Amino acid sequence: MHKEADIRKPLILGDKTYRDITDDVIRPIESKAPRTWYILILIAGVLAAWGIGCIIYLLGTGVGVWGLNKTVEWAWDITNFVWWVGIGHAGTLISAVLLLFRQKWRFAINRAAEAMTIFAVMMAGLFPLIHMGRLWVGYWVFPLPNQFGSMWVNFNSPLLWDVFAISTYFSVSLVFWYIGLIPDFATIRDRVTKPLAKRVYRVLSFGWTGNAKAWNRFELVSLVLAGLATPLVFSVHSIVSFDFATSIVPGWHTTIFPPYFVSGAVFSGFAMVQTLMLILRKAYKLEEYLHVKHIEYMNIVIIVTGSIVGVAYITELFVSWYSGVEYEAYAFLNRATGPYWWAYASMMTCNVISPQLFWFKKLRTSLMFSFFMSIIINIGMWFERFVIIVTSIHRDYVPSSWTYFHPTWVDIGIFMGTIGIFFVLYLLFSRYFPVLPIAELKTILKSSGKNYKENYGHGKDYWDSQSEH
Amino acid sequence: MSVKKTYWKGLSEKHQTPEFVHANTKEFQDDLTIDEFVGGEGVEQFKTGRRDFLKFMGFSVAAATLASCETPVIKSIPYVNKPEDVTPGVANWYASSFYDGIDFANVLVKTREGRPIWLKGIKDGFSKSGITPRINSSTLNLYNSSRLNGPTIDGQESSWITVDSAIKEQLVSIAAEGGNIRILSNTIISPSTKMVIDNFISKYSSSANEMDESNATLPSVKHIQYDAISYSAIREANAESFGKNIIPNYNFNKAKVVVSINADFISNWLLPTKFGVDYGETRNPDNSWMSKHFQFESVMSLTGANADVRAQAKPSEEGLVALAILNKLKGKAVENLNENLSNAVNKAVIALNENKGHSLVVGGSNNKSTQLVINEINNHLGNYGNTIDLNKSLNLFQGKDSDLETLVDEVVNNKVDALLVYGSNPVYSLPNGSEFANALKNIKLSVSFSEFADETASNCKYICPDHNYLESWNDFSPISGHYSIQQPVIRPLYDTRQAQESMMVWSDNAERADKESASFHSEIKKNWKSNGFPNQSEHISFTDFWNWSVHNGFTNLNNTTEVVEAMSFNTSSTDYVSEINRLAENTGEWEFVSYQSELGAGQYASNAWLQELPKSVTKVVWDNYITMAPTDCYKLFGMNSDDQKSSWDGIHLGQEEPAFVATVTVNGENIKLPIYPLPGQALGTIGISFGYGRGENEENIGKSAFQCDEFGEHILADGKKVPIGANVFKFSSFDSGEIRYFGKVDSITLNDEKYALACTQTHHTIMGRTSILKETSFGTFKGSPKNDYNPPHVLHSHAEGGHSEEKATNYSLWDEHPVEHVGHRWGMSIDLSSCNGCGVCIVSCHSENNVPVVGKDEVRRSRDMHWLRMDRYFSSIEDDNRKDWDENRATGDFSYDKLEIPEENPSVMFMPMLCQHCNHAPCETVCPVAATTHSNEGLNMMTYNRCIGTRYCGNNCPYKVRRFNWFNYRDYRKFKNITPAQDEMARLVLNPDVVVRSRGVMEKCSFCVQRIQEGKLNAKKDGRPVVDGDVVTACADACPNGCITFGDWNDKDSDIREKSEDNRAYQALEEVGVKPNIWYQLKVRNVDEEQIVANNDVHEEHEH
Repeated sequence: MHKEADIRKPLILGDKTYRDITDDVIRPIESKAPRTWYILILIAGVLAAWGIGCIIYLLGTGVGVWGLNKTVEWAWDITNFVWWVGIGHAGTLISAVLLLFRQKWRFAINRAAEAMTIFAVMMAGLFPLIHMGRLWVGYWVFPLPNQFGSMWVNFNSPLLWDVFAISTYFSVSLVFWYIGLIPDFATIRDRVTKPLAKRVYRVLSFGWTGNAKAWNRFELVSLVLAGLATPLVFSVHSIVSFDFATSIVPGWHTTIFPPYFVSGAVFSGFAMVQTLMLILRKAYKLEEYLHVKHIEYMNIVIIVTGSIVGVAYITELFVSWYSGVEYEAYAFLNRATGPYWWAYASMMTCNVISPQLFWFKKLRTSLMFSFFMSIIINIGMWFERFVIIVTSIHRDYVPSSWTYFHPTWVDIGIFMGTIGIFFVLYLLFSRYFPVLPIAELKTILKSSGKNYKENYGHGKDYWDSQSEH
Repeated sequence: MSVKKTYWKGLSEKHQTPEFVHANTKEFQDDLTIDEFVGGEGVEQFKTGRRDFLKFMGFSVAAATLASCETPVIKSIPYVNKPEDVTPGVANWYASSFYDGIDFANVLVKTREGRPIWLKGIKDGFSKSGITPRINSSTLNLYNSSRLNGPTIDGQESSWITVDSAIKEQLVSIAAEGGNIRILSNTIISPSTKMVIDNFISKYSSSANEMDESNATLPSVKHIQYDAISYSAIREANAESFGKNIIPNYNFNKAKVVVSINADFISNWLLPTKFGVDYGETRNPDNSWMSKHFQFESVMSLTGANADVRAQAKPSEEGLVALAILNKLKGKAVENLNENLSNAVNKAVIALNENKGHSLVVGGSNNKSTQLVINEINNHLGNYGNTIDLNKSLNLFQGKDSDLETLVDEVVNNKVDALLVYGSNPVYSLPNGSEFANALKNIKLSVSFSEFADETASNCKYICPDHNYLESWNDFSPISGHYSIQQPVIRPLYDTRQAQESMMVWSDNAERADKESASFHSEIKKNWKSNGFPNQSEHISFTDFWNWSVHNGFTNLNNTTEVVEAMSFNTSSTDYVSEINRLAENTGEWEFVSYQSELGAGQYASNAWLQELPKSVTKVVWDNYITMAPTDCYKLFGMNSDDQKSSWDGIHLGQEEPAFVATVTVNGENIKLPIYPLPGQALGTIGISFGYGRGENEENIGKSAFQCDEFGEHILADGKKVPIGANVFKFSSFDSGEIRYFGKVDSITLNDEKYALACTQTHHTIMGRTSILKETSFGTFKGSPKNDYNPPHVLHSHAEGGHSEEKATNYSLWDEHPVEHVGHRWGMSIDLSSCNGCGVCIVSCHSENNVPVVGKDEVRRSRDMHWLRMDRYFSSIEDDNRKDWDENRATGDFSYDKLEIPEENPSVMFMPMLCQHCNHAPCETVCPVAATTHSNEGLNMMTYNRCIGTRYCGNNCPYKVRRFNWFNYRDYRKFKNITPAQDEMARLVLNPDVVVRSRGVMEKCSFCVQRIQEGKLNAKKDGRPVVDGDVVTACADACPNGCITFGDWNDKDSDIREKSEDNRAYQALEEVGVKPNIWYQLKVRNVDEEQIVANNDVHEEHEH
């Protein structure tokens, strides 16, 4: 048995047994859904339906129903795309990178974070599709053998790299998530009594037997997938950033983008995980598995990545001045002081200034404040993408074409719609899937569980006296 | 020996038993039991089960779906008998002429399969290849589906027989009663039409006697010529100065100094087609001299925007300015002028004095006194006989305001019994149009020849619709000695009849003519035979003479009947000073001035191409507006103008914020229009353009003449369609026998509402950027090395021995594109110096390439589709600081915010911007599906069919010339009243060589690839290599001034190669490294402040 250093705080509170863990996680699946769940899914469903309606209108009429124009040919569409991709970053980072680094606290959040990743990447993938002028020939972005003669894709185009990056990331994340779910599905399969549920979970659990060999393979596959997924965490957003970095638009054409985008993505991803987990722990009474310590860890990640992002912003400003390039200098000056100063100010406030508040231990261990901050950061990161995309192109080289971008109700509707679809999926996930990794939590119970820790080291009441709450 | 084995199905086959042979003759060995199956009782017991039903359903649905997947087949019907001259796919070009009472041009019309689709000017014609956007877009007018299809009586469709007999009967009876018959037409410069009208007049003025000798009163038949925008004062002034009622011919190409007092001669004044080209010839800095151009005006016109020195003068001050120039020339002191004006006058006088006999002073004023002063100035300078030709005078604009006033009085007082209105729309364009309209209803016989039931025609009893000019014969003599021919290029589309033929029928000079009758044609020929043919010596037979004239579109007759006489200047003219002072004193806080813009006198209000053409200076489309100086706006809107940036932003120039709306009252008439703050406007003036507010009573003049909402439906107010803009003709007035187009504003009040104007350009300055536009002064250009005025963009680089400066274009991540050495490399050069920003290239590109018309709402969303746009930049208040900062960073200081604010009287730059066909095109690398690629001839090509519409290319284009099909412009309801492609008639104007793009694809300038292919094929057919001039893009072809040169850069002898290597050549944004195939020739202005100041000093000393 792995033994954990005594001064580390326990990750699982309360007097938990293996049985308790199983019960706690599966309870929502076995019991009837509370009324609030129905209310929430109704709201999310209405939002989703509205968004789908907007998408149908868009596809039926043309991209002109958005507010784009001859100068700003990408705005909310690609902003939303990058925003959702960024959110989709945390899950795989938590499951892959933190797994390789043996961070045990990740077990409290990885399942839900991976689910979030899957759904967020689905939402992200939607935008490049619907932003196309002719979706019905969108499959031409794949290097398919075809009857069109020698027509082939353009491997120079970062958009093509996006296609590969996003689809790879999505499939690996999905497989990773599903592999992790198999033992837990088996646990559910073994407990549920309703015949239909039993059948479904039987299929889902993929014939899991739980013998040593299966566990051994499970661990191996997880490790291999973690190894595969880790570079993907960095590659996806790097490649998304190439959409901008390889262009010649002042404000886009920046070599700093790949690391800046990746840290921004982790930043926003963790914020979204916090938003979701803080609700989930309350709703599903998981306070003992996911508590202040976890939140604090995540807040630390947020400080680090937020600071990287902040440094990147400032570096950009410096380079634009230092380069001596007229257009570059103006692009950044215009960001900060031009017609979109409000977007830039929102971005700076939300992303650079506000995370620094987490240096105060009191704030970073406050759940209410963390929740509030996670929302702020999500808003800030949306603005970051908006600022990069729109403020750069709305005033680029030739002043005669300078314009302003005004979103239409369809722009807004589709964005809200994707939030709706995301939450519908997430709510379904939280009803029917184990929101915490049952099997994996059990592996840390005896090393990081509070009651076990009490039995050695400082003794029974030590942690209570140390606890803030 | 080969053995072929035989196999049998059985013994019966081997033995060929009779049973087998019998059975083998049938496909089915047993009879099918159809009868049993259908008729038997068993059928009733059969049940179609659920599964069967689903199977059948599934099959049917799948089959139906598959069947419906087929692309619709659009059939084209070939000729049964091919017309001799029409080869499908090959264009025919016909020489013709355009004249509509405002513009005149010799044009070459391109027809495809019998449809005129495009036109350009004829280079050696009288108008010297000059055309205006109005002329250029006139092919679309032909296909207006609102044209009348046959004559009408009281608005009811009728037939030509009925109409003819009714009108004739009435004319005869009116003549018999000694009534007043009036023909009101625009200026007739057609000798044959004049003859027809004269015959008509003589027929009816004499007919009374024949019919009833006892009748004492003779009928009075008169022809009154009426120009909607009058030049009567020039003729009157010349009548007084020279004793002849003429408009002389102005030779701008001989003028080294041009002083224009509110004459927009490049785009509107008198004969802009020829004057614009003449003027352009003097603006080429490669010549030994370049004209110096002074402009005094209130609203910034295109001409003013091109001037070297421009001063703002209120319309009431025009006379004073002329007077000041005259006095100063005579050595007298200048009075009554503000400092700016007197400075400009001083500069102008110095320049004029230095160029006596090579200068030209023109005035746009319709005031005889002002024109008299201008005549005296020109006489003083000795310009008559040099830059002004009195002997060959222009026949244009013969209308006399006092005659018109008399006629209007007669009509209003019911003294006219028959009124025939031809080529004009007085109800719309008269100062008292509505009064005229009411009176028109009481006239016994009112006939209009209008193509539409327009404002005037709909108030007439009879409308006898005329042919479009592209459907009919005519001849024109714009200047004595020159005769142009207008020939039909298409069969009449509707049941219309040429007005001349109608008049011939009514005066019994022709049989009842149908729409394809040739009686006027033979009349023209007769006229040419008797009057033209004897006056020429080139052709020996009339047929030869006629055929060549038709072929060329014109002929010049040397020995005209006019006697060249020496004209002496009459100095003892009337007291013009007091009249000028009277006008100058009659001002209030605000003065209005109405002026002619791209829309002319509103004849083509429903021409979508013309409406979508951005106004040359303001860049507004589809709208009329009030222009005011920004400073005046601050005052009117109650803004604090201390903070320059916020007050500038506050006046909402552009479309991001809707414009303020004001109501202007003049003489009790109200006009409510949005305000466009126009830098360069004279303080205290408001300018409103003519040509808008057509169809105020829903007259059917075309769908595009009315405002549409964002779903494409016509906007209704009080149940009526809302016209575009407002009619400012209402503000003009008759004042001592002249029509006055300016005057005192009674009140101007700001309304609470806001109105969204649509502009294609919402940012107005160049922001101190130096590599987009380059300009220099003539002195620097002539006297300094290239590096002084056209320096390449250099980068600081590290070289052996330390720091060095390298040309930015020396660095590239890319290999040189192979096109630079092999085969063709198509390139273009655009001369910014002779380009005056007229916009002909925009319209010609629009019509050549089937560019969608998107309408106001879309332009307001910055989605104009122009492949070629005309960027217009005002100089900024901060330009000098910016320049200092560039040159000396240590001490200089400037503010980007202030760079956005134009100067009060800015200098203006125009820059045609189109796809630069970069050899290292940034758009090509980013397209995921390779829909935009580089051809091996240097073209940046768009494969519409391959495009999936990611718009990445558009974002990555540094010139922002790519245009996205946001909607299906061809079908989507929003564009039904706007785009020609959605009208079954207007669709005929589309160029069959160019595909109409579908929704969701990117498009942009293709360098007219269809013309390149045509040029290459023609050369191939002739068995020769492509030579310079074989291929010309539409913009280059139509450009009146020849500013655009197109050709093969790899051809070392080509013009384009030469131009790309000369001293003025530069490439826009060259440091970005995209290696464009377009070169610009930098703009040279004839400004040399130092020289002017120095001369000024000398002059002052001289005066002492």
